[in-house]
Amino acid sequence: MHCPAFIAHNNIWVSLVVGGLANGFLYALIALGYTLVYGVLRLINFAHSEVVMAGGFGGLFAMRAVLGTSTPAGFWAIGFMLVGIVAGALAGGATAFVLERVAYRPLRKRNAPRLTYLISAIGASFFLYNIAGKEFGRYTAFIQTPTVIQGNAFSLCGVGVQSDWILTMVTALVLLLVLDTVVNRTKLGKGIRAVAQDAETASLMGVHIDRTIALTFVLGGLMGGAAGFLFGLQFGVIYTMGFVPGLKAFTAAVLGGIGNIRGAMIGGLLLGVFESIPLRWMSAEWQDVVAFGVLVMLLLFRPTGILGERLGREA
Amino acid sequence: MRQLLIKAAVPLVVGALVLAGLSGAAFANAKHQATAKPTFDLAYEGPLSGGNAQLGLNMAYAVQYAISQANSGKSAFGNLPFKLTYIAKDDQGSATLSPTDAQELVSNKSVIAVVGPAFSGATKAAEPTFSANHLATVSPSATLPALASFGWKNFFRVVADDGVQGPADANYVVNTLKLKKLYVVDDAGTYGVGLAGAFAGQAKKDGAKVTTNSFPGTTQCSDGTASPTQYPDDAATVVSANPQMVFYGGYYCDLGLLLGALHKAGYKGKVMSGDGSDSISLIAGTNPTSAASGVYATCACAVIGKSAADNTFAAGFKKIAKFAPAIYSAEAFDAANTIISEMKLLSSGKTGTMAITRAAVVAGLHKITYVGLTKTISFTSNGNIKGNAIYVNQVQHGTLVQLGLE
Repeated sequence: MHCPAFIAHNNIWVSLVVGGLANGFLYALIALGYTLVYGVLRLINFAHSEVVMAGGFGGLFAMRAVLGTSTPAGFWAIGFMLVGIVAGALAGGATAFVLERVAYRPLRKRNAPRLTYLISAIGASFFLYNIAGKEFGRYTAFIQTPTVIQGNAFSLCGVGVQSDWILTMVTALVLLLVLDTVVNRTKLGKGIRAVAQDAETASLMGVHIDRTIALTFVLGGLMGGAAGFLFGLQFGVIYTMGFVPGLKAFTAAVLGGIGNIRGAMIGGLLLGVFESIPLRWMSAEWQDVVAFGVLVMLLLFRPTGILGERLGREA
Repeated sequence: MRQLLIKAAVPLVVGALVLAGLSGAAFANAKHQATAKPTFDLAYEGPLSGGNAQLGLNMAYAVQYAISQANSGKSAFGNLPFKLTYIAKDDQGSATLSPTDAQELVSNKSVIAVVGPAFSGATKAAEPTFSANHLATVSPSATLPALASFGWKNFFRVVADDGVQGPADANYVVNTLKLKKLYVVDDAGTYGVGLAGAFAGQAKKDGAKVTTNSFPGTTQCSDGTASPTQYPDDAATVVSANPQMVFYGGYYCDLGLLLGALHKAGYKGKVMSGDGSDSISLIAGTNPTSAASGVYATCACAVIGKSAADNTFAAGFKKIAKFAPAIYSAEAFDAANTIISEMKLLSSGKTGTMAITRAAVVAGLHKITYVGLTKTISFTSNGNIKGNAIYVNQVQHGTLVQLGLE
């Protein structure tokens, strides 16, 4: 492959941009959970970071159950990754479902003020990650990785592109497309959009609000759980793992326009790359300074985010 | 002289009282016992309860073992003309509890010297009391550099302080390993920045080409606030600088994440870190574990188990403690034996055990040379251990192997 001279001489760019994109896809997947719930309930689910953590552990335990201590080789071992992704997604979806039942629905039934939801979410978050730390140990555990995922997938201008980055990007892309289709083309999606626009009218039109909200949580949880597995694959699984990616994804959701699904995707990708690029010139200590500096600047000029707020309404 | 007599007499009488079981006939017995060996208390101060209890117990049992060996007459000291009693003060490693402990120890006149305090903060708070009463303290583990700067004549430690490690590591890398192109990383924490800075400074003096960078510690590990997603990018910047060695100032958890990322980014050079990474957990915390292979980790603490003496110590320690010697056990054993060896030296003079006083022990320790398990112990005038006394370990075949002193 022909490689432009500029990149060939500064090939660290390739690592930074591709690695940043891989992180960005993870942020995007997680950001969807925030944005979907915000769309239907107008509140931020601060326990979503623990949905990510649950996905990490779900994937970890599933892989341990399937693989034992072996490390499968060969291209088709990539199928084991599918097991992990599905298990992570299911664990995330289940956690989100329970969260909605326990921490949100009772409050909604009593017309609790907004602040109560916030505290309830933070409480659920503390509860979940502390119980995970207590039950699963406080050391980073690593997910067994088939050899096909361990090395580089291919080389780009002399820089290896890691297989797990490719796996993350492909998975995220597929899930994002599926979700986009679900929300825009299916009856459930129509229901979600209807509740997002006007819950009362939607219920008058025959939309089952409770079920729609629960399914919205589950949808977000499936994405977040899958992201948790993919994150754990690269950086290990530990009870505190959800915190930072959760916060970053929330940021990405706001950056793209909270409540806006495509906005969350774009916001995640941008944040991932914004974070990486400064490392070309500065130490990693500046990573968040630059990334969030850019974020604040962007919001100053576009307070509703890149694609604007609101789920269901065209941006 | 009269004071000296009294000082020697008090432990003598106290020891006799103990032997006599404090019965009504104590006084008569004391006279009889006067011909027997006088008894001194050798104290240990450190955490025995609370969150740091394990570290303290590692040392406490070693002191107990040293005392039981000395009393048995079967140690290298032979048949000593005195008996030792073990007493312990639990300071929980805390600077608030240690002054009280120190006060109790100095007012107990049979206490001849102290192994400890174990922690730097506790040492700093207690030492003025010990110092005013000329009671020698030999710490197995207090590594805060400033402790040697207060002019306490009675303060000694058998480990190198934190300020020694960085420069010693740099000399080892540049002069022994002959690596000249170095990449120095810290975790942006107090310990890591200090260590990496000291390393970088000395490496430059030694003529190496040094690039410095800071990869802040992550939320996944103990103290950090940054995200582990930085590591692939960090690794890419390291690889693009193409160094011969990465020196990491920080703890094993984040180093494990960095090692995994370096491995994936195709880094082929060497990696070294300090005592914060000198843990077997480094290997389990690296994915794949093979990425930790060959990593150097240095420590002022010795890994024992090489010589026959080491094995005898390990077996004897385990009998008392019910667990194998761990970090700072061997140092505590050496600290206790250094004191005992000084007491033996004092008692070999004309006045015999009468010469063993607190002040004489303090003065003697300033001149002592004792060959311990971990190293040859002798002190500089401010109480620090002489020489570098930094050990270099390397990850080999899934475990940490001690290569020797730097």
